[in-house]
Amino acid sequence: MTEGDEAAASTGTAPRVYKPEMPRGWWLRRRHYFLYMVREFTAVPMAAWLLWLLVEIQRAANGPKGYYPAASPAFIVFSIICLGFATYHSVTFLSLAGVIIHLRFMGKPVPPRAIVATMFGLWLVASVVIAAVLIGFAR
Amino acid sequence: MAEKRITIRTTRFDPEKDKAPRLQSYDIPFSDDSMVVLDALNHIKAHVDGSLSYRWSCRMGICGSCGMMVNGVPKLTCNAFMRDYWPRSITVEPLQNFPIVRDLVIDMEDFMHKLKSIKPWIIRKQEYPLGAGEHRQTMDQIDEFRQFSECINCMLCYAACPVYGLNNEFLGPAATALARRYNLDSRDQGLKDRLPVLANSEGVWECSFVGECSVVCPKGVDPAKAIQQTKLDTTTRFVLPYGNREE
Repeated sequence: MTEGDEAAASTGTAPRVYKPEMPRGWWLRRRHYFLYMVREFTAVPMAAWLLWLLVEIQRAANGPKGYYPAASPAFIVFSIICLGFATYHSVTFLSLAGVIIHLRFMGKPVPPRAIVATMFGLWLVASVVIAAVLIGFAR
Repeated sequence: MAEKRITIRTTRFDPEKDKAPRLQSYDIPFSDDSMVVLDALNHIKAHVDGSLSYRWSCRMGICGSCGMMVNGVPKLTCNAFMRDYWPRSITVEPLQNFPIVRDLVIDMEDFMHKLKSIKPWIIRKQEYPLGAGEHRQTMDQIDEFRQFSECINCMLCYAACPVYGLNNEFLGPAATALARRYNLDSRDQGLKDRLPVLANSEGVWECSFVGECSVVCPKGVDPAKAIQQTKLDTTTRFVLPYGNREE
């Protein structure tokens, strides 16, 4: 039984009820809850990396002369960790697309698997295009 | 051969005497593999302790009355087979996230209020006269909402939802699923009447898609799907120029 707030029990003539409170460790109770919290947490390292990107843009404000990208081992490790979180976030997000998107084609509902496969395909295409643009700029 | 037995631990709470709920153990015979947890509770009430309080009715997974936490998971006790737990003990508690009235009985007032708020009935701008005959639907039109109409208001989804547990103002899974059931019904014209409840800050946007509501649903309603699709619908209505067309 979860901890309860005894004081929260109603008084007077109305029937007294017990109002349980959510324990702080509720997200450790079930695997599904834990994975949900991990998915939500991925936003934190992704936000940190994007903040760093803003700093880099500021540093490059005066043009390519005098600008050198961050290349320390610590930064590379940080980026790889962030990439892992970003990938987890993207995979979980795109996997849910089949639940969210409700499409019909030729009068029939599009199967959720087809929607998810399309989303992953678009993700792949977008990644290739962005990578090509960035490599193009770097040359 | 010795009689097979099982330990059932149930929540006991007497609002006249107890400050907080407690667990009480009962050692009962497990005589038949087809026994469900509700049978165990009925055995306790009939043969061991008549003061044990809990809700139940149909015993067939239809009425939605006997939802409880079985070893920490929201279940219909009429559909929770004891053979799946034996020889471990079974702990039966009231559905979490709800106030406890007595023993395993919860206060469902909040849910009933939310259910009423989404107007779970067919709304017509102009009533369809009886003399005009039945309002026909194609199978495709029925398939649009059939899944969401399976909801039996058992509230397992609310017990599984940590968002509702942390914020009781949240409209919640079942109410949203039923709203979607009517919004998708070709006979209904009440979407605009339901939108203020669905699209406000305590409506669908409070959901952060834990998804456990759909996992525990005994009827395959998939309320998480209803909530996410409603999010998409309300956004479309807000963003697209034709979004606020009459439905």
